[in-house]
Amino acid sequence: MTPHSEPLFHAIDRGLLCCASYLVPERQRAEWRLEWESELWHARRSNGASCAASWQTEREIAGFCFGAFQDAACLRRFWWQNRPRFGALQGSPAICIFWLGCLLLLGYAGSLLLPGVRVEQNFSSAQVRPGTILIQDEGAKNSSVPSMVIDQVRIWERSRQRYADGFAFYRVARETVELGPHAGGTWQIARASSNLFTLAGWPLHYMVPKEQARSDVPRLVLSERVWRQQLGANPEVVGTVLLVGSRPARVVGIAPGDAWRLPGNSDAWLLESDSEINSGGRGYVVAHLTRIGRSEVWGGLVRITSFDSRRTEHDFLGKSLDEQMPGPANIYWFGIFLAFLALPAIVSVSLAEYSFSSHKPSWMRRAVRLGFLGLKIILIMLIAYFSSVDLAYWHFPVFSPDGVYIQLVISLTICLFGMRWALLDQRQRCPVCLRRVTHPAQVGLVSRMFLAWSGTELICAGGHTLLHVPGLPTSWFSTQRWMFLDSSWDFLFAG
Amino acid sequence: MASVAKLSHTAAMILQAIDAGLIYGFSIMEMTGLPSGTVYPAMRRLERDKLICSRWERQSIADADQRPPRKYYKLTTTGAEALKASRNRYPLLERMIPTVEEKSL
Repeated sequence: MTPHSEPLFHAIDRGLLCCASYLVPERQRAEWRLEWESELWHARRSNGASCAASWQTEREIAGFCFGAFQDAACLRRFWWQNRPRFGALQGSPAICIFWLGCLLLLGYAGSLLLPGVRVEQNFSSAQVRPGTILIQDEGAKNSSVPSMVIDQVRIWERSRQRYADGFAFYRVARETVELGPHAGGTWQIARASSNLFTLAGWPLHYMVPKEQARSDVPRLVLSERVWRQQLGANPEVVGTVLLVGSRPARVVGIAPGDAWRLPGNSDAWLLESDSEINSGGRGYVVAHLTRIGRSEVWGGLVRITSFDSRRTEHDFLGKSLDEQMPGPANIYWFGIFLAFLALPAIVSVSLAEYSFSSHKPSWMRRAVRLGFLGLKIILIMLIAYFSSVDLAYWHFPVFSPDGVYIQLVISLTICLFGMRWALLDQRQRCPVCLRRVTHPAQVGLVSRMFLAWSGTELICAGGHTLLHVPGLPTSWFSTQRWMFLDSSWDFLFAG
Repeated sequence: MASVAKLSHTAAMILQAIDAGLIYGFSIMEMTGLPSGTVYPAMRRLERDKLICSRWERQSIADADQRPPRKYYKLTTTGAEALKASRNRYPLLERMIPTVEEKSL
């Protein structure tokens, strides 16, 4: 062993002590390291004095340093045995915020994970061209069942229209799609009129240049879901030709998010001219109303009567698509508004900060107290938003009015009762330390209430205050009062 | 009279060593022949049970000797009582680690 290697061993020993020190609880760490480094110095000196520096000596010193790990683990065990128990934290403002934060995280995670909720939130940002309607046969019981034929669209297109300036037809069917030599699948393909997207005003992502799109090959629009899941979100796929059924089709764009607001869950849209769409089978009709047509819309609905070549009357029903279903955020804000209106009806909004003496907490403490109340209310409002959205939309179909009502009821209920709880909780928190007052004790007798007060007395575990809540409010003692304790009470809380 | 805690042989040896005037960890190790991984945790337990107490040496003394300050340990009253009881239980304790006065005789 060379004399040059001694600093190296010294550094290794110190490194061992440094590693071991991370096992020691933080408060004791600095002192612990000081003690061990001092002991190491003495150990090194003692071994160096007794014999020449050798591998044997260094091994002994390293063995000494390894003992530091056992010592550190011992201190860690002591700390674990004496760590503050949950009971000691109970009632503290930190625990209150912690639980509210947990509920908020749970709600937020739900909104990220539940597919129905994700779809609803995407919908709220989708835009539809004003005056766009979905036309169905009036006799159709279910809007998701196709009830229209292409021939009806052709009749409307041929005749002079005052009420509508454009029609589009689509029909959904399962078709095989070849993505490559060895890849493919069966998709829900909507064979649609070529003007469907421009009529409804839905923009496309990654659109191909117009001259390329105008080729004689039919155009194909992919849904974002399929594009991401089956094509790996590859933008290069736009412009390529896929085989849909037995026909080639050029991908001309990606329909953003879940912008599709019409019946039929399509994976892709094959845009063809009306003459190419064959007459067999029923589908759906989308139309765009003129200004006159829009004036006929009442409550999101418009009745349409049409006559065929034999003068037979046919009744249809148009459902407005641009009449925005109120999005989750709008319903939520309405729920909040109702909750604030209704709150004074179910609880007194006073914070009841009366005191027996003129002593008042400093403005800083009052500001912290108000800040704590504000934080609780904000957290409750956020919890209300995420919980209501999660519960309302996790299994209801998109655009379901049931979901809207459920969201309104849940957000109103959580906000209303949450804010009630926040106010009642605030009244029972010590103005000094914000801990909840505990140990309720019955004081006085109701029969002697003209001689002395009767009611409940609660105490702050930190020894700052007593809270007196009258059992029977009187003209001279109607609301709760705080009594700030001076230093003469300290002996009671010592230890 | 409060009951005196029964000590293990190792703890009794460490108490005896402290009583004998070996008042810091490394010297106790050398005297008892116990490894550092045994001596220091045992001292922590004894300190926790208030059988020994510790204090840091003054920095000026350590500076004068050109060495880092040491942490010294000494027996508390309870520790002295516990050691007395341990001596009855382990009669060879005093022979293994004689006190300074005994050594000088």
